[in-house]
Amino acid sequence: MVDFGFSKDQRLIRKSVREFLEKECPKDRVRELKTDEKGYDPRVWEKMVDLGFLGLVISEDHGGMGGDYLELMIFMEELGRSLFPSPYFATAVLCALPIDRFGSNEQKQLILPAIADGQIWTLAVLEASADYEAAGIELAVTREGDSYSLSGTKLFVPYARAAEKLLVIGRTRADGHAEEGITVFMVDAVSPGITVNSIPTAARDQRCEVRFDNVRAEVTDILGQPNRGWEIIEYLLQAATVLKCAEMSGGTQAVLEMTRRYAADRIQFGKPIGSLQAIQHKLANTFIGVEGLKNLVYEAAWHISIDRPIKELVSMAKVKANTVYQQTCIDGITIHGAIGFTEEMNVGLYHLRTKAMEFELGGSEFHRERIIKELEQQVPLFLQP
Amino acid sequence: MDFHFGEKEKKLRAEIRQFVKENIPPGQVPYFEEHDDQEWAFSMSIAKKLAQKGWLTISWPKEYGGMGASELERMVYLEEVGYWGIPGWMMGIGGIGWVGPSLMLFGSEELKKKHLPLIASGEPDGVWCTGYSEPDAGSDFANLQTRAERIGEEYVINGQKVWVSAAHRARWCWLAARTDVSAPKKHAGISILIVDMKSKGVAVRPIINFYGFHLFNEIFFNDVRIPVANLVGVENQGWRQLMQSLGFERSYSTIVVYGESKRLLDELVQYAKETGAIRRPYIRQKLADVAVEIETLKVLAYETVWKMSKGERITWEPSRDKAFRDMINDQLSRIGTEIIGAFAQVDPLETDTKWSRLRGRAERLYYRWTGYASAAGTTDNQRNIIGQFALQLPKAY
Repeated sequence: MVDFGFSKDQRLIRKSVREFLEKECPKDRVRELKTDEKGYDPRVWEKMVDLGFLGLVISEDHGGMGGDYLELMIFMEELGRSLFPSPYFATAVLCALPIDRFGSNEQKQLILPAIADGQIWTLAVLEASADYEAAGIELAVTREGDSYSLSGTKLFVPYARAAEKLLVIGRTRADGHAEEGITVFMVDAVSPGITVNSIPTAARDQRCEVRFDNVRAEVTDILGQPNRGWEIIEYLLQAATVLKCAEMSGGTQAVLEMTRRYAADRIQFGKPIGSLQAIQHKLANTFIGVEGLKNLVYEAAWHISIDRPIKELVSMAKVKANTVYQQTCIDGITIHGAIGFTEEMNVGLYHLRTKAMEFELGGSEFHRERIIKELEQQVPLFLQP
Repeated sequence: MDFHFGEKEKKLRAEIRQFVKENIPPGQVPYFEEHDDQEWAFSMSIAKKLAQKGWLTISWPKEYGGMGASELERMVYLEEVGYWGIPGWMMGIGGIGWVGPSLMLFGSEELKKKHLPLIASGEPDGVWCTGYSEPDAGSDFANLQTRAERIGEEYVINGQKVWVSAAHRARWCWLAARTDVSAPKKHAGISILIVDMKSKGVAVRPIINFYGFHLFNEIFFNDVRIPVANLVGVENQGWRQLMQSLGFERSYSTIVVYGESKRLLDELVQYAKETGAIRRPYIRQKLADVAVEIETLKVLAYETVWKMSKGERITWEPSRDKAFRDMINDQLSRIGTEIIGAFAQVDPLETDTKWSRLRGRAERLYYRWTGYASAAGTTDNQRNIIGQFALQLPKAY
């Protein structure tokens, strides 16, 4: 039965996560971490481990909390609201989820408890093409006896400096269809041949170039099936994308709230600027966008939570998130006026992340194409017998 | 959290689709009935059949001729109405949506006994129009001036209403009129009255819209006498009664618009496949974009109905959904007419010329939506409501 409500447990998780992040990550901390070499606070990370946040959806057998996908979605929504800089998404979403789904029992028994215990992981997927088309995966993998050798360059790898382990998407076969011949390796971040360079991103949010120069990996380091690694990316393009959308949705809620408050407090012409229709209608449009995004993410997430993801719904959520996040930040800053342009105001912190958010796990053009591909294959209801 | 429907709703949906197969022509296009005599007759015949199924007044209690259906069942019904273009579901404007529910809340036994069965059974005498707007009372609706003066056991009505949809089809008018001219605030002194459109002194003048369509009318009241028993609820308490019914209207009409939008999107994708336009990246991107917004409209409308089903107080939610649907109609009709191309310049009232595409669905929406955006409060008025009630900002008007 259609139900937009959250369970008591789910509401409790939201409350505790929000309180934790408000306490541990005030906005000045976000600013400080911009210039921090690690880009996150290991002390807070440890606290998160203690609270079980890293193992939120890892089963109890593997040392986690055994929570479900919706709880992780709630977590990401709150994370997006607070902007908490950390390798959480890279570790708990981009790596833990596919390892849980595609890993062998042995791998899971070894890795998942480590992640629940705070081991930092990250995903190295993008290359020079900077998109999520299989043809862009060129990192060369050659077989040398029983091992593999990886060579190539990955871009925008989150928190590669902090990570102990990397999931690396490489090309094991160059002939045939682009989606075939891709293999996912689990590699030590300190392996010989790995060089990490920080990319000076606008938010200084620890996106790195990671170069692989004959980096060695073993057969046992393969996640999933050799040459069928694209399945893992395709899985992430659904399960991780919706969580990214939840993060973005949380961000838009926060920006709308701070902008609303500013419009209600700022007096000009003897009255709050929020009483002027030009401002109020802009805020109303933002509100409609934020509300739509929030509910669309819930719908897409729910279908994933029952393990029946709807591909076009996921992509719809990302297109919506891309559009609304950007618009909410731009309207937020312009409604603030000149002060919105300053370093002191929080709205800019969100705006600095729009482009990273937009292109992580696929930009709008990419996801629109995925939507229409699904729609054109379906027999429309009015033509069904 | 759950986004699946229950067995009851699924069964209802299947029954409605069966009904559509048996009763509605495959190319049925909505929004012609008020304009065209033949379509009106067809729509009334469907209203009768919907009544026999119990769907016409699906959410009314059984004792008043409804099915006592839940909010969610009503939502499913209206979604199907929109998608398949089922005509007759409104029987004018307001009878089903607010006249019935308001009578149940505020009406006398006599009024309930007289009117509810006529509406619920799909009778021509159950067709209503709604007299709210006036030349100087549009968005500022409380400014209405139409006067109803009590003289003995009658009210004597004088004044003018405008933008009255379906007045030329209606047997009854649900009228907002001023019964106390000395009330200190304009919101006070308003009452709801029921006027027989056959009364002496009632004159209906068509307002033909810019593409030749007849939906709106003016009604002139010249010493129209109605019995005091036709007062609904309490004299001078009309404003409160009105506010309660407006929200219901907006939330449910959004569900219908969702169904219609989804249908047009499906039609456009199919058409683009047939013509090859689907191969063009620009068209693909635009169609995907509007698909995102239509899906968003769905979840917003569902959320509002879900809140209602839990008995939550609804204030700004219908305004959010109404403003958003207006924006989608704009977007959908633009990409729709772009896909149709030069054929979109065919007269939208001509559905079957050899130059018409999709029976004129796209161009009709293109011309139509700007007018329908004003119904039940303009898009910008909805933004005022959002600002005031959802964002808690000072009144901006």
